[in-house]
Parts: sequence; structure tokens; C-alpha cells
Amino acid sequence: MASREIVRYKSPARTAFSVLVILFLIIFFVWTVLPLAIMLTSSFKDLLDAFKLPAEGDWGGVGVMFDFKPTGAHYVELFTEKHFGEYMRNSLIASLGSAVVSVFLGSMAAYALSRAEFRGKKDLLFWIISTRMAPVVAVMVPLYVIFRSSGLVGTLPGLILAYTTFNLPFAIWILKGFFDNVPYAIEEAALCDGANRWQALRMIMPLVAPGVGAFIVLCVLFGWNDFLFASIIGSGGAKTLPVATAELVQPVKIQWGSIMAAGVVTTVPMMFLGLLIRRYLVTGLTMGAVRE
Amino acid sequence: MTSVTIKDVWKYYGKTMAVKELNIEVRDNEFLCLLGPSGCGKSSTLRMLAGLEFISSGEVFFGDLKVNDIPPRDRDIAMVFENYALYPHKTVFENMANPLKLQRMNKTDIKERVVWAAQMLEIEELLQRKPVELSGGQKQRTAIGRAIVREPKVFLFDEPIAHLDAKLRSHMRGELKHLQRRLETTTVYVTHDQLEGMTMADRIAVMHEGVLQQLGTPGEIYNHPVNEFVAGFVGEPPMNFLDCRIEGAGDSASLVYDNMNLALGGEQSRILETKGAAREVRLGIRPDDLTIEMGTDHGLELSAKIFVTEPLGGDMLIEADFGQDRMTIKRKIAELGQPGDACGIAVNSEKLHVFDRDTGEAFF
Ligand SMILES: Nc1ncnc2c1ncn2[C@@H]1O[C@H](COP(=O)(O)OP(=O)(O)OP(=O)(O)O)[C@@H](O)[C@H]1O
Ligand SMILES: [Mg+2]
Repeated sequence: MASREIVRYKSPARTAFSVLVILFLIIFFVWTVLPLAIMLTSSFKDLLDAFKLPAEGDWGGVGVMFDFKPTGAHYVELFTEKHFGEYMRNSLIASLGSAVVSVFLGSMAAYALSRAEFRGKKDLLFWIISTRMAPVVAVMVPLYVIFRSSGLVGTLPGLILAYTTFNLPFAIWILKGFFDNVPYAIEEAALCDGANRWQALRMIMPLVAPGVGAFIVLCVLFGWNDFLFASIIGSGGAKTLPVATAELVQPVKIQWGSIMAAGVVTTVPMMFLGLLIRRYLVTGLTMGAVRE
Repeated sequence: MTSVTIKDVWKYYGKTMAVKELNIEVRDNEFLCLLGPSGCGKSSTLRMLAGLEFISSGEVFFGDLKVNDIPPRDRDIAMVFENYALYPHKTVFENMANPLKLQRMNKTDIKERVVWAAQMLEIEELLQRKPVELSGGQKQRTAIGRAIVREPKVFLFDEPIAHLDAKLRSHMRGELKHLQRRLETTTVYVTHDQLEGMTMADRIAVMHEGVLQQLGTPGEIYNHPVNEFVAGFVGEPPMNFLDCRIEGAGDSASLVYDNMNLALGGEQSRILETKGAAREVRLGIRPDDLTIEMGTDHGLELSAKIFVTEPLGGDMLIEADFGQDRMTIKRKIAELGQPGDACGIAVNSEKLHVFDRDTGEAFF
């Protein structure tokens, strides 16, 4: 079997191109990292330091922004007075719960849709993805009514269900792609070896695992970053981090320090998650990797 | 350790017909070879035996048990797939151990079986590798290994040694045949290589376009092909065919081609007469049953010109042209004719076959 090494040939165009690439990457890096850096530093500043900015055009004065006495006061306040611990737990449960449910149900459905042939399969697939075609706000009001009459408003199960409604169709489509990439012959071999259908499915699970893992993360991100569902369906008993952060913007006083700290608290776990599973994320989402 | 009966089996893929009204009985402990050109429905048949493919109509029995609705795991079969179908995330060892693991055999026994099979297949050094790190032939041997570690009721082999080099293939032919004899396991072996069929099988079923052409021992298939297709498919180099005319009748018919007049034996003539052969027939003769003499004053029936000579080491293949036709002759000769040289060809009339020119059916 051929290795997956890419052969490169040198040419002037190539060299010029790689210079351009590097230039682009530098700009891109500044563009993405700067806001995060400001958020991080501001979260450790008291209100006075936070607004010490250099004059416009004064690049030499940038140092002013880093000249402050770090304080953890905002964080302490968040977790003591403002109950962010609880909100964080809500966020975690809602996003992880929905991710697990979506991926579990999704992989079942995806496996069936990938392996079985039946009349109307294409229509079914289209129907599944079509549930994602309307924007969330469009269905929010009816959804709210349904949820309220079932007593799901303001509860974590309600929030999990709401996220699952939107993660599941997506999960089915993406995961079906992963299963389609695994040759059926592998399962056939397992069947001949004496496996039953479940054992045969288990045999190919390691092959789709990177994809499934990566997709769990996407689902978690959806739930974790969601504001709309959380503010309407989760309001009351199941407040999540984005909603809690938004509430820090009060008419009389915008608590910049706390907002920045809340931003960090919301961002950092997902960044760590990303780093942790980076390898799988890449192999998972570029999975033409399984072949005959 | 069971017989396999294929009864009136048809296989359709949508509108495509892959197998047509197939009837084969594989006897207990028999090594049966399904032989035929690409796309003739061999794999489809095998996969129906394995239970991987829905049987469009007809019945399959293992012994007295109808297996149409029995899933593969309960059929007690071991199959080698045409495309290997190895488990990509498992090592060679784990691949081969999988069927035993599913049988809950204990670890030491598993190891022993796998190592035994790996030795036989000459892949011991590869046991810790993953399939991506193997060559085609090594993968194929791993796939064979996964099947032979077990002792199933039926072995199903789908072109198991097609991707090995010639030496290894001949080695594996011997090993597989020996193994089958030793285990006394009913075996259905699919191949498009007539040599494999001839050398390994107890009986050969020749298929063409989904239809069984002939079922018989290698000797029967080779010496008494029932039609032109079987005659041309079995035997290497293939049989020569020549359009001829029958002259004379009764006990003394003869085949006429150009100025060749080939007197047939009494029995051959009578067969042609009783079977009502048309005047125009096709003569079939194997390259081994032709005699060749170099030069112009050879005194043989057919005068020809050498087209090309192909030394095979001990033997020599000579293709010679005469009129519109070309024949291949196999001889043990040292003298090398040059292309263009004149020669004479004689036909051994006892060994010839005559086919109906329209239907391809053999008269003898
Ligand atoms: N899944 C399928 N869908 C549609 N047609 C198929 C399918 N599998 C096989 N066929 C068709 O059925 C016929 C028989 O195929 P089969 O695979 O049994 O041939 P084969 O004798 O094994 O050939 P080969 O020696 O090339 O493996 C072919 O014409 C093929 O195109
Ligand atoms: Mg085949």
C-alpha cells in the first residue's frame, strides 16, 4: 500500500507561496489571539487599570496595557457572590448530556442508514437534515410552548432535550459519513468469523471512534456556547454560563472585570478540551483514513 | 464435514442476473472448485453459501439443514474474502485470532493455532504488524490464516491465492490441498485460474455468465468438455478451434479443412450421425495433440508458416498460421523455427473434439 506521504518539489512559485502563507498566518494569529489576550489581562485588572489605554497611534505606549497589579478579585467574586460554580455545572451537564445523547442515538441511526437499503431512504435522510434548515429563532416560540406545557422549562433535562433536537440531525448526517467510509466487508468478515451483528458493529467501532469523539466535541461546543436556548428554555432553574455572563451587564453598572473573568471561565475549559483531543479531532474530521 | 446442496438457486442484483438456476451438490469432505471467467457469478454463489448475500430464489442445504435463513455465524463456515477484508486496526495476530476469540478458546490454544497457521503461511515475522504495513500477498495470506485457524464445517475460499507470486502460489496450492485432506472439511474454492482448479479440486464446476456449464472431475472436464466454452477455458495453452466441414457419412465421415482431409474413426463418425451434426462444425484440438514438422516437404496435411515461437524452458509453444487461421502447438523440441519458416502440422485424430458451430455443444 502506498504511504500517505506527500512528495514536494521545489519551485520559485512554491517558495513565494510559502512566504505568503507565513505572512497570512502571522496576521491571522494576531487577529485571533489579541482579543483573547485582552480578555485575559483585563480579567486580572481592577477597574482603574482596565481603562488605562495608550493614546491612539501611540504604539510605543502599548506597554501601559501590561502595567498593572494583577488581582484575582473578579474570579473570587464570580464564584462566591455570583454562583458561577453552579452555572458552570449547568453548562457542563447540559452540553455534555446532549452531546452524549445525540452521539449515542445518532450513531445508531447513522449505522442503520449507512448499512441498510430501503425504499425512501433518500427522502428520510433529507427529512432529517431539513429539520435543521429553519433558524433556531423561528421555532423558538412553539418549542417554548411545548416545553412549558411539559414542565421542561427551566430544567436541565429540558435544556438537554432542546440541544439534542438540534444536535441529533447533524450527528446522524456526519456519523453516517463515517460509517460509509468503513467497508462493509469488515463486518462481513466478522460475521463469518462467528460474530453476531452487535459484535460486528463493535468490531468497526474503533474505526469510527475518532470521528465520533470529534463529533462529541462539536456537540459539546454547541451546547456550551449556546445563548438563545439557554436564555429562553433554561431561564430560571438551569442558567448556563453565557446567560449568567450576559446578566452581568446591568443598566446601572457594567461590570467589566467580572465580564472578562466570566469570559475566561467560559472559554478556558473548551480550549483545554480542544487541546486534549486535538489529535483525534484532526484524524476524526479528515477521515478518509479507513480504506480497503 | 457436511455436504452442501445448491438447489435451483438464482441470484439477481436488482435487474442484473448474476446466477441462473444453479444446481450443485458438494459432497461431504469434497474439494469443489468453482471455475469461470471474471463476472460469471462465482463470488455471488460463494457469498450466498456464506449467508452474506440474499438468495433470490432456490434453496441451499448444509447436510439436511436448509440454511437460507440462517445467519453466517450459525452456519459454521470459514471464508477467505476476495478483497481480504482484514480488520485494519488489528495486528496480523489479532486478525487471525479473532474467530478463535469469538469461540472463547483460551489464550494459549489460540496462540498455538495462530502460530501454526502463520508458519504454514510463512508470515510468522509479520504477526505484530497492522494490515496497512503488509503487501498484497501478505494480506492475502493473513486472510487465509484467519480462515484456517478454525475447524469449520465448510471452507469457502474466494480466490485466496490470486495475489501471490508464482512460487508461493504453487506452495500454497499444495498446502491448502493437504490441509483440506487432513481436516476433511468440505471446501468450495472459487478461482478463475484453471490451473488451480485442475490441480486442487476433486471436482470442478465451470460457470459462465451465471450458468453452470459442466460439473465433473478435472479429468472429465479436460478430456470431455461438454461445450466449446469449457473446452476453451480449461487447459493452458487453450484449445485450438478450426471451422471444418463434414464429408461422407455413416461409419466413414471425415473432417475437411482446405486440403486437409481428416478421416474420423468409426465410432466418432457414428456419434456425429446419430446426434445429427450439421455439415458445418468446429474442430477443437489441444496444442499437445498436434504434430509439427519443419520445412516444406513434411508430408503432413496442413502447410503452415510459423508466426512466433515461445520457449517455455522444457517445452516450446509454436504459433503457426495457415490461411485465415492460427494454431498453437506445444512440442518438446529443441529446433527453433524462425517466424516465417514453413512447416507442416498433423492432427492426432483420436484426441480431437467436434462442436456444433451454432450452439457450441460438443459431439465428442
Ligand atoms: N453488489 C452487486 N450489485 C450489482 N451487481 C453485482 C453485485 N455484485 C456482483 N454483481 C454482478 O453480478 C455478476 C457476478 O458477479 P460476481 O462477483 O459473482 O463475479 P465473479 O465470478 O466472482 O467475478 P470475479 O472473478 O471478477 O471476482 C457480475 O456481472 C457483477 O457485475
Ligand atoms: Mg469474485
